[in-house]
Amino acid sequence: MRTRLYLLVLLALAAAAPLGAQQILRWGGDAEGGAPFVEADPRDPSKLVGFDVEIAELIAGKLGRTPQFLQVQFTSLDQSAKRGDFEIGLSGIEDIPARRQSLAASIPYYEFREVLTVRDGDRGRYRSLADLKGKRVATLGGTMAYDLLLDAERTHGITAVSYDDDVHPYSDLVLGRVDGVVLDNVLADRAMRRNTGLFTHPDALAVGHYIVITAPENTALRDQVDRILRDAMKDGTLETIFRKWNVWNDDQLRLYERAANPQEQTASTAAPSTGELVARYVPSLFRAALITLVLSFAAMALAVALGVLIATGRVYGDRFSRLLLTIYVEVMRGTPVLLQLFVIYYGLASVIRLPAFIAALLGLGLNYAAYESEIYRSALEAVPRGQLDAARILGFTRMQTLRLVRAPQAFRLALAPMTNDFVALLKDSSLVSMLTVVELTKQTQIFATNIGSWVIPGLLCALLYLAMSLPLGYLARRLEERWRMPTI
Amino acid sequence: MSRALDAKGVRLKRGSRGILRGVDLHAETGELVALMGLSGSGKTTMLRVIAGLEPRDAGEVSAAKVGMVFQFHYLFEHLCAIDNVTLAPTQVLGVSMIDARRRALQLLDQLGVGHRAQALPRELSGGEAQRVAIARALAVDPPLLLLDEPTASLDPARRNDLGEALLQLAKSGRALVMTSHDDDFVRDFATRVVVLANGEVVEQGDPQRILSSPQHPATKELLQLERARRGVQ
Repeated sequence: MRTRLYLLVLLALAAAAPLGAQQILRWGGDAEGGAPFVEADPRDPSKLVGFDVEIAELIAGKLGRTPQFLQVQFTSLDQSAKRGDFEIGLSGIEDIPARRQSLAASIPYYEFREVLTVRDGDRGRYRSLADLKGKRVATLGGTMAYDLLLDAERTHGITAVSYDDDVHPYSDLVLGRVDGVVLDNVLADRAMRRNTGLFTHPDALAVGHYIVITAPENTALRDQVDRILRDAMKDGTLETIFRKWNVWNDDQLRLYERAANPQEQTASTAAPSTGELVARYVPSLFRAALITLVLSFAAMALAVALGVLIATGRVYGDRFSRLLLTIYVEVMRGTPVLLQLFVIYYGLASVIRLPAFIAALLGLGLNYAAYESEIYRSALEAVPRGQLDAARILGFTRMQTLRLVRAPQAFRLALAPMTNDFVALLKDSSLVSMLTVVELTKQTQIFATNIGSWVIPGLLCALLYLAMSLPLGYLARRLEERWRMPTI
Repeated sequence: MSRALDAKGVRLKRGSRGILRGVDLHAETGELVALMGLSGSGKTTMLRVIAGLEPRDAGEVSAAKVGMVFQFHYLFEHLCAIDNVTLAPTQVLGVSMIDARRRALQLLDQLGVGHRAQALPRELSGGEAQRVAIARALAVDPPLLLLDEPTASLDPARRNDLGEALLQLAKSGRALVMTSHDDDFVRDFATRVVVLANGEVVEQGDPQRILSSPQHPATKELLQLERARRGVQ
């Protein structure tokens, strides 16, 4: 017994030892971003591979520390760095003014071009953003490319569609849900390998750079990273890494030349002030709130209509339909609504190509119908049997009893829980940003990424949600008071 | 006099327990028949079988159109008194709303609750709710009216009013069958009493005679219990 305890202590010490022996360098990235940046090694998914992984290892090595990876969602990397979740972040992070303002950013270590990808058949028709007037053009949210498309919305009349990943813009391009994708050449090259029938125009719509970020106060570490990157440019280490991952090109040589002469580096454009940015984003927040509201109302209407049918079927139906409806309700309630949204939008894409808004409406409506039906079912069952007997003796048909006696009373009972559900739906509607619908939460996230802070966007977003949900709660309380049922 | 209800050999089992074990019950127009019996004797179940709310395992029930007044009234809680009364005539019989309301008001007036026509069920006293329930049942003109424990929710003063009203209804060409455990009420107003015990009719006839000199042990026990209960009160 005692020896076993010793053994445990020894094991614990052995496990803790490496931590003490060498300091760890925590680095943040998004493995969902995939190759060639950061991805799980297909041969051993517990290991990460990619050029950003190798650069992180290089930096850690030069600092004499052990790299340790922290998974952070791409759009949250800035905030995470600021909070100090990790010391350095790199995952195809772009050099944009807002980022330089709010974080300590390294020198660029890779130069990319924003390029336009279209379906092969459209390569002659759609050569530039100007050719895509009135069309939907996709990209990854919170990136330079997204800002580029927002500008093009104004100048060329395109519709910018924002995705949370870089895979689905291209798959939706193949499906015809969008007519063009603008992303950097690294992502475009990868997409070209994965999809057939696409064509990428070689000319750059813009040029950008990847950088390493650290917390704003950690400029000392940033300077060390800069030194390590410059050395790696000079001694060819970076070139080796990029060649290994097939992303090396001559653009990099010019970048390295500029990096070697830091005085030229100050040519970055002045970032707009926070006030200007807020003013620029507020109208889009209102537009997004309107989308949230319309989507929620439409989804709730669908949920109520379906919920009534399901509840009626479960109370009045035969055994078979009761079983079927029970299965529906349990499946919809027992699986995440996010999964259901994905299945409807992406999973069914090969069968039926639903527009994003319709898929979002269907997903939320079908999911909430399950919850609504449970409310209606218990409300229907709460109406005393004796009243149903009374109706039967008076000569009402079952349908008449339902319509004239049972449903009106059940509705009054269901009202309060229904309102709760509607408020929940209003907030759950933020999930549909996964299907490229830019609703309030998504717009807030874009806003926050672009101004580099969550304070103002978060506050505005919360106020807008409250402005939508509070009146509903008030209305429900009023109706409930008026229709208060006796204790039966 | 015509026969509004004729039930013969009604049997009903729940599991292995026989609730009704061959009950014969008839009612003529103009009669107010009282079904008496201890709790569990099957009297309420018999009413429900007659109303068609319970299936029966054996026996025959031939009844005219039935109206029923439940012990707990079961008014439609979302409708005011007069709407409770007009709902069936307008929706089932196709009577026009104007005619249905006129008749409903007449019925409510007759029963002494005309002034409560606009009240919601939850605003009515037990006695008022019962009268509205009676009006609702009468609105479709059933030749046979069933009442389950009609005196249960009434104070003694109201009992006499109800008794008079029921007799009046019987006289105006209906047969009434009620369950009751109130032997005074039955003695004063019923035209015939039928005593049930364990799902069987054990005694029946003139209320005065039966309740003054009960023959069957079940009837005696019933009366003793009633007296003891009243004594406590």
